[in-house]
Amino acid sequence: MILLPKNAKIIGQGLTGSEGRICLPTMLQYGTKVVAGVTPGKGGQEVFGVPIFNSVKEAIETVGEVHASLQFVPPLFVLAATLEAIEAGIKFILIGAEKVPVKDAAQIISLARENGTTIVGPSSVGLINPGRSLKIGGIGGSEPERVYARGEVAVISKSGGMTSEISLHLKNNSLGVSFALGIGGERLVGSDFADWLIALEKDPETRASVIFGELGGTYEERVAECVRTGKIKKPVIAFIAGEFASTLPSGIQFGHAGAIIEAGRGDPKEKRRILKEAGVLVAEKFDDIAGLVKEALANNINLA
Amino acid sequence: MILYEHEGKDLLKSAGINVPRGELLKSEKDKTSISFPLVLKAQVLSGKRADRGGIVMVENKDSLQESLKKVFNLKTFGEPVKAVLAEEKIPYTKSFYLSFSYDTNFRSAVLSWSPEGGTGVEDRKVNIVPFDIKKIAFPKDLPFPVEILESIVKIFLENDCLLLEINPLVSFFDYDGKEKWVALDAKISLDDTASGRHKNWQYSERSGTRVSEREIAAKKIDEGDYRGTAGSSFVDLDGDIAVLASGGGASLVAMDTLLSLGGKPANYTEYSGNPPREKVLRLTEIVLSKPNLKGLWIIGAVANFTDIYETLSGVIEGIRSIEKKTGKKFDFPIIIRRGGPREKEAFSMLKEVKDLNIKFSGREISIAESAKIVMEETRKYDNSL
Repeated sequence: MILLPKNAKIIGQGLTGSEGRICLPTMLQYGTKVVAGVTPGKGGQEVFGVPIFNSVKEAIETVGEVHASLQFVPPLFVLAATLEAIEAGIKFILIGAEKVPVKDAAQIISLARENGTTIVGPSSVGLINPGRSLKIGGIGGSEPERVYARGEVAVISKSGGMTSEISLHLKNNSLGVSFALGIGGERLVGSDFADWLIALEKDPETRASVIFGELGGTYEERVAECVRTGKIKKPVIAFIAGEFASTLPSGIQFGHAGAIIEAGRGDPKEKRRILKEAGVLVAEKFDDIAGLVKEALANNINLA
Repeated sequence: MILYEHEGKDLLKSAGINVPRGELLKSEKDKTSISFPLVLKAQVLSGKRADRGGIVMVENKDSLQESLKKVFNLKTFGEPVKAVLAEEKIPYTKSFYLSFSYDTNFRSAVLSWSPEGGTGVEDRKVNIVPFDIKKIAFPKDLPFPVEILESIVKIFLENDCLLLEINPLVSFFDYDGKEKWVALDAKISLDDTASGRHKNWQYSERSGTRVSEREIAAKKIDEGDYRGTAGSSFVDLDGDIAVLASGGGASLVAMDTLLSLGGKPANYTEYSGNPPREKVLRLTEIVLSKPNLKGLWIIGAVANFTDIYETLSGVIEGIRSIEKKTGKKFDFPIIIRRGGPREKEAFSMLKEVKDLNIKFSGREISIAESAKIVMEETRKYDNSL
């Protein structure tokens, strides 16, 4: 997984659409370098001073190498857009669209593995890095500083809304965020909790991480495994939602596409148990998260 | 969407996979031309059909009507039996469990198989083989012919299946001495998000175990409209507090919290991704369509990009629309906790609503604190009745 540097150059695929137009000024205002947009057939236009090109290749030929692509592309076009970006040599792609078919996600993940590409999403709310003035995606809206204070805690979440809710909770408790990211609530995601927690081991700004997990899948379990085997050493605080679903029949999807208990997998109680056993600090109540973060920071003074 | 067995078998057949000769019977009086002994199979979406009496062997013509009547009248599934598949009985020598699906451990498609098919496979060891759908290759030592696997995986991919399960896949030696493979069952789950590229998905409404009228109505809101989501997840519950939550994650946190305080939600649902106000309006109408509610909780995180003014306007319009339709005013408490883009406009709009019992707050209180207010207010309301 790539941790983007300060002043990373970003292009927006589908930037001329309504979501792109809402999102772009909030990114520029935050200091993020959006250097080009790509929409087939709209080349030559400008949106908020950002030049639009017909293809990713054309954009790169003009503006030079870019670090990442942010997609504002409808779900059934995400695979093609991702393929185009990968072929043009882009190594970091953030996919915002929800409802991308699982088959397409599987192909994207396979392409990314072959090409060493970092994929965030599908259905990622974005990434924010207050220390580097980086805001990629809708995350934080137009006033990100009201929620995301600069600090030393990473927030990684399956839910966009809860990324902001946790960061706000940290801010209200005099803590701040080094890096916040929505991995998306899909069945198959380009990068999961553990991928990022492992990458953040090398991030000097991050001293502890909070993960927001929920019922379904096995991404939380993988965190436990990586903590147990020592791949993740910085403290992790976990909050796992969806316990009420355990009392209902399995096979029901709750909100996110991946939030489903099936084939005996995905019970949130089980996730909590496995995380606890591995030494992850599990918050029983949401409002307990900040206390556990403070505890972890106090116990890990030497890690920074 | 989960397909009925006979629909799944039609897909298998169209790709050249053998299935038993069968006829779909729509009533207990239907006749069949399938020769005896035959198998009657209830066409329901719930599992464990054999254990619940949904699979019956019929030896001769004399017992057909009685057996058919029995299967059509089964109450063990929690859903009515609307069709029964009558199939020829296949004698076989080998039986396997086989499925294709996607697995979060490998983040790829997987082939799962077990050398023993039939019910109870969850308790047996299943071999899981991940594979890359871009260049499909299976290990050489699997106990199935490669052509069979290739045909099945083709169906799995071309139809955007989330699951394609054949349990059991059986084989026997035919008259010509060749091994013949037959799928005795088919369970297929289609990826609804891909429906936009499958105009041929003309399957009837599923009336599965848990699906209520409200759930069907809620799911319709998102059909063919990609702008945000509203109602795609909807579950009817026994309680009396209507819940209109925003965001997949926040909706779960809200439900967990409300239940932990002893609250009884009337439903689970959520809207998110900046849906237009009409979608929220329609979802509000559905959420409020249950009688004897004691409150409405509108709950969400501080949104990143959902327009709070638009969505909360949709809520108020939904309330007005129901009031108009029923001629009744809502007097129960409406507790709102929300924040995000255009929250100021949203809160000024709410302030002007004087004839509803609304208590709203923003980011100054947490989801858990809002849940406590819901408990207090609905209790007060209950005591006043």
